[in-house]
Amino acid sequence: MRSFGIEFVPMELFWKTTYYSMQAEKLGYDSVWITDHFNNRNVYVSLAFIANYTDSIKMGPGVTNPYLIHPVYTAQSVASLNEVAPGRVICGIGAGDRTTLEMLGKKMVSPLRAMRESVELIRTQIAREKNGYDGKMFSTSPGARFNFKTKGEIPIYIGAQGPKMLGLAGEIGDGALINASHPRDIERAVSLIEAGAEKAGRGMDEIDVAAYTSFSVADDRKSAMKSVVPVVAYIVAGSPPQILERHEIPVESGDEIRKNLAERNWGEAFGAVNDDMIDAFSICGDPDQCVEQVDELFKTGITHFITGSPLGPSKKKSINLFGHEVMPHFKES
Amino acid sequence: MKMNYNEFVKQVPKTMRGPLSENLIDIILEGDESLAIPPSLAKTILHYWQRDQLDSEAGLTNLLKATFEADPEKTLKVVDAFDLKELRVALQPA
Repeated sequence: MRSFGIEFVPMELFWKTTYYSMQAEKLGYDSVWITDHFNNRNVYVSLAFIANYTDSIKMGPGVTNPYLIHPVYTAQSVASLNEVAPGRVICGIGAGDRTTLEMLGKKMVSPLRAMRESVELIRTQIAREKNGYDGKMFSTSPGARFNFKTKGEIPIYIGAQGPKMLGLAGEIGDGALINASHPRDIERAVSLIEAGAEKAGRGMDEIDVAAYTSFSVADDRKSAMKSVVPVVAYIVAGSPPQILERHEIPVESGDEIRKNLAERNWGEAFGAVNDDMIDAFSICGDPDQCVEQVDELFKTGITHFITGSPLGPSKKKSINLFGHEVMPHFKES
Repeated sequence: MKMNYNEFVKQVPKTMRGPLSENLIDIILEGDESLAIPPSLAKTILHYWQRDQLDSEAGLTNLLKATFEADPEKTLKVVDAFDLKELRVALQPA
């Protein structure tokens, strides 16, 4: 089955994110993911509002991280949300990004262990297990249980980009959120998830594999590109050399963009983003071009396609374009 | 004096209400954050959106109230584009 999701960064007023989420539900999107950054609106306040005004779309953090939010609080938050939107809650969790963590004086220590223990602890907590959890990074004492029960399951999706984290997602995740947009990267990621699943004796049908893409659609490619350029600039700047080389992007170009972004030379930074970079790190174009690109991604074995930021020059229009002109191509086939 | 938006909305031809509501919602969705509308009014708009009734009399009334509070200039431009003369006169700043 093919599912479609949408990501929102809650930079705007709560009711705008809610409006767009309702729009997505009306058009048949399957999931809405709200990013969790300390400098934007709170993810669970946003989700609670969305839950209140929607009926069927699944929703969850996409993604939270265990360094800033203790897994017990993540478990509490998604379990509480599940009371507002029973059976519709999903939980995306990843290791976070180093820059943001460092801003708050946190270090990304043992990300694989942190993620494995977080997933185990969230499950333990939601299941109200009596014996607590005894991990190396996180632990709870016996009796540290919720005072309320959670009905049904809350699937946990692991946000991943590196090979080991992708393997872990295959090993223990109910789902995987692959942080990439190019078929070559996604194909490689799916095979790593597959290897992780195999190691754990699991089948791929047990894992919802999602491509969490940088996405932009507009009536014409030029407008879509204009909107995606800033996002791609940050991706290029943050990509390790081997990723850039894989896409035949000169490492020096990445260095230059990073330098200009750091110095807030937006014109130079964004001006250095070229077509190759946009193709490597986003799904971008008019609706027909997006159909072709999304189709390529589904051929890699993903089961879920998520349109991430920026969506397009106008959110409302881009959601409509995707819902009316891209998604039906896959939902009806 | 409090403006009775509902009275003016009643005069908007039914065929025009759908496109008008689309144009008005664009004003507040794409507007600057500093032009925030009151949360209670925003929730009322979500209520009508949930029921696909933003183009109803009540939905349009609340939209018009919100857009005029958020951005009177853009609201007047939309009203002009739809050639709603009576509404234009009523909304026209003194």
